[in-house]
Amino acid sequence: MKTKKHLLDILWIVIIAVAATTLMMILCKASPLEAYQMFFNGIFGNLSSFCEVFVKATPLILTGLGCAVAFRTGFFNIGAEGQFYVGAIAAAMVALNLTGVPGPARIVLSMLAGFICGGVWALIAAIFKAKFGISEIIVTIMLNYIAINFLGIAVRTFLMDPEGTVPQSARIESSSALGLLMPPTRLNAGIIIAVAAVIIVWILMEKTKVGYEIKVVGFNKRAAKCNGISVMKNIVVSAFLSGGLAGLAGVIEVIGIQKKLLEGISSDCGYTAVLIALIASNNPIGVLIAAVGFAAMQVGANSMQRQMGIPSAIVNILIGLVVLLILGRKIFRLSFFRKKAKN
Amino acid sequence: MLEQIFTITFFTAFFSATVRMAVPLAYAALGEVFLERAGILNIGMEGVMLGGAFFSFAGAFYSNNLFIGLICGMLGGCVVSLIHGFLCIKLSQNQSVSGIALNIFMLGVTSFGYRLMSEGQSYQQIEPFATIKIPLLGDIPLIGDALFNQDILTYCVYVLIVIAIVFYKKTAAGLAFSSIGEHPASADAAGISVYKYQWIAIIVNGILGGIGGAVLVLVQTGKFSENMVSGRGYIALAAVILGRYTPLGSFGAALVFGGANALQIRLQALGVPLPTQALAMLPYIVTLIALLGSIGRSNEPESLSKPYVRGSR
Repeated sequence: MKTKKHLLDILWIVIIAVAATTLMMILCKASPLEAYQMFFNGIFGNLSSFCEVFVKATPLILTGLGCAVAFRTGFFNIGAEGQFYVGAIAAAMVALNLTGVPGPARIVLSMLAGFICGGVWALIAAIFKAKFGISEIIVTIMLNYIAINFLGIAVRTFLMDPEGTVPQSARIESSSALGLLMPPTRLNAGIIIAVAAVIIVWILMEKTKVGYEIKVVGFNKRAAKCNGISVMKNIVVSAFLSGGLAGLAGVIEVIGIQKKLLEGISSDCGYTAVLIALIASNNPIGVLIAAVGFAAMQVGANSMQRQMGIPSAIVNILIGLVVLLILGRKIFRLSFFRKKAKN
Repeated sequence: MLEQIFTITFFTAFFSATVRMAVPLAYAALGEVFLERAGILNIGMEGVMLGGAFFSFAGAFYSNNLFIGLICGMLGGCVVSLIHGFLCIKLSQNQSVSGIALNIFMLGVTSFGYRLMSEGQSYQQIEPFATIKIPLLGDIPLIGDALFNQDILTYCVYVLIVIAIVFYKKTAAGLAFSSIGEHPASADAAGISVYKYQWIAIIVNGILGGIGGAVLVLVQTGKFSENMVSGRGYIALAAVILGRYTPLGSFGAALVFGGANALQIRLQALGVPLPTQALAMLPYIVTLIALLGSIGRSNEPESLSKPYVRGSR
């Protein structure tokens, strides 16, 4: 019965989302049929655009995964944006400065540095919450802006390309950058890392004691405490893991895609990640699917914008709308209106 | 370099810029204070401000009347807040998720709407509100120009702050609005209709946030651009905390944030070799320290962001 209701909700949400998309196409004076064709053509049209879906999905998978892990303990980490930036800065520092270390080792080191720095960044908020009871929501937002501005300082001072005039770092040598899987497409080893992270997190959450404790704390803090599970420890662990994953996303963006550090490098994926985790109901496999789906929509919408002038902003409208509909799914039920009538 | 900074002209210009930067934040922060004291967190302030900015621009552009634009901005902000209210009050959903979804949703809606509007025309501009200099007060050295040579919306914010202070300190309704954020069940038992008051707070939040966005268009730039609020909604959230959830405090905090921004622009104009981000970052660090300083005597409403379900324990 419950799954049936669930499926019905999904059906409603899909119908409304498709209707809204079609309406927006008509508003742009475009033929919906042609626009949808462009949309799918943009995704599946050729190998390079199909691979672009996975390039765009990589940071979303990792940040979404990070959010999902944190949300499981009830630690509402909306700082994936800042943790992404911190990871990116750490990766750039390692990749550019440790010139004595051979390439592959430098890649591993930059990933490690990005993971730890991202994790520590989230840990600040976790300690504020676990120790002092300060809302992590506000702290993570503050930390986001501190990280964003810190990157701005970094690319203008100690990480600035000595030969350039634009605020960005020097180019990372190809030996310490992630390899391309299928040149000439931009598909790189980052997607493998992201998928591996999904599997590891899934095993961690579903098959180990650590994951079990994290989930118990998320369900009921009192019950956890009564059964000898430390709430504080689990919030700290899940926050570190969460920040680390977001930091890793930043690392991959730097050494896999941009090959340098620059401002606005996250393209706001830290906030989208919150929505992706929610759509996936904090399930690692769900995050993978939702992130790839969202990335596909972005790629398809970009193609619509190029070919037909339909603003790609419709992707933002759609993901926002879908989450709002998920939150408001009760309105699809007749009982919601019946109860109102009775009152 | 220092002689250039410590001059009357520099400070006059700096104070003026501070107030100008602070006004949109002050509106949004005041709206957020009102709502958070009623127990609801609206992270969607960014979306509310974007709605206010876009709809005020559209209204003013099509009607050629700034006041109609302002009303459209208020309504635009209100609609966003009402969606938040519906999800958080009626359906008791997670307030942070709803807020972030609204931010991204409104970023899309306003960008899309603006593309539709600007189709075929490359540049659209409206004539912003004129500044009205208040006689005598406007001639005070240093701060006269900043405080009393501004536009009508800036003067309105002064009045609103005073009203809000009196409202919370002196009226029963003000007490009621604070009590539902502290302990809604007790407030309910005392005969205060929690839901009704929360809905009112949502509407006030939408109107003030909408004006905050509208100020950017109707006073400061005269045009709309995609993502023009660029994080001010989040800064307003910080201003509320730094201002300890009080109207006057949040206005002061808005001035701090505005001042940091203004100083950065002034110093840049003088060519001071300091990355401007260092200054832009400061207010956030100050807010974090302020949060740490409030340990044990936190001003945060007790039931902030906890949905109130009548009859539940």
